[in-house]
Amino acid sequence: MSEKKQQVTRRQFLNYTLTGVGGFMAAGMLIPMLRMAVDPVLQESGAGDMVNVGLSVDDITDEPQRVDWNVEQVDGWHESEVNQTAWVFTDENGDIQAFSPICTHLGCFVSWEGSDDHPNEFFCPCHDGRYYKDGTNVPGTPPLAPLDVYEHEVRDGMLFLGQAKSRGEA
Amino acid sequence: MKWKKEDLNQYVQAKEYIDTVIIPLIPFQFTDEQNIEKNAFQSEVLSILTNEIEKELTGRVMLIPNYYYIKSSDLDDESTILRGWTEEIKKQPFKHVFFLTFDSGWKKREGKLDGTLLWLPGVKSGDLHSAEMHTVIKDQVEQIGELIRSYW
Repeated sequence: MSEKKQQVTRRQFLNYTLTGVGGFMAAGMLIPMLRMAVDPVLQESGAGDMVNVGLSVDDITDEPQRVDWNVEQVDGWHESEVNQTAWVFTDENGDIQAFSPICTHLGCFVSWEGSDDHPNEFFCPCHDGRYYKDGTNVPGTPPLAPLDVYEHEVRDGMLFLGQAKSRGEA
Repeated sequence: MKWKKEDLNQYVQAKEYIDTVIIPLIPFQFTDEQNIEKNAFQSEVLSILTNEIEKELTGRVMLIPNYYYIKSSDLDDESTILRGWTEEIKKQPFKHVFFLTFDSGWKKREGKLDGTLLWLPGVKSGDLHSAEMHTVIKDQVEQIGELIRSYW
């Protein structure tokens, strides 16, 4: 009689509790690790900091053009509007490219065809640094890395640019 | 580059590439109330201008802290002090020194300065944040940049 009334045995009860508590502890350890692993994915989906740079996609040609826009930036002591610039054009595959104009050597302002001696290249006036049209540095000139690339997105026919990303040494 | 901790850290490692110095010369005064606004405005414009030039040519130009002097003081005395500045600067391998100013008084004493004086005529009043002023400053920056590059 008493056997039937006791639906959960002592052994079962202990098993359940231990699994339960153990499960919580394991989850407590695993979830932060999992979050860290998928974090980059989560961040990319929330790309809210893309900025409309006021350039229609139809106006982008295969000739790099200078695009200026402002970004609000809080910088320790002061909040300010920071002026940003990109060289925007379409490459031979028809894809939009947006390069940062900051020379990877010492940070001067790089111009498209900035020197008459080097047509069809980006040119840095400070130390004659050069980059091919795809942004890679010309070997033998001071820069050691290609130009940074802006993340870009097209919304409603307008160009949106995000952060400039380094392509590493090449 | 500027007289700032991070920039100087980079400077020390790459000094062979940075061979040009810009010194803004800015007068300051409280005597002449009629011109007080004009002087302050020119000082603001010159600071913006030199900052923009520095931004374009960061990798080869060092922007020195502004040199302020009293408007009515004798510029011959001031140029003696400035020679001390350039002497100090030449302790590092700088080759070109540019003085930028809106004060025409310096033009006559150009020879007393150890460097190239760029006297910029003009900008007396206006709204710093207006679109016209932006274009004016942008054009100036471009032309001064070209001039500096012609010395390299």
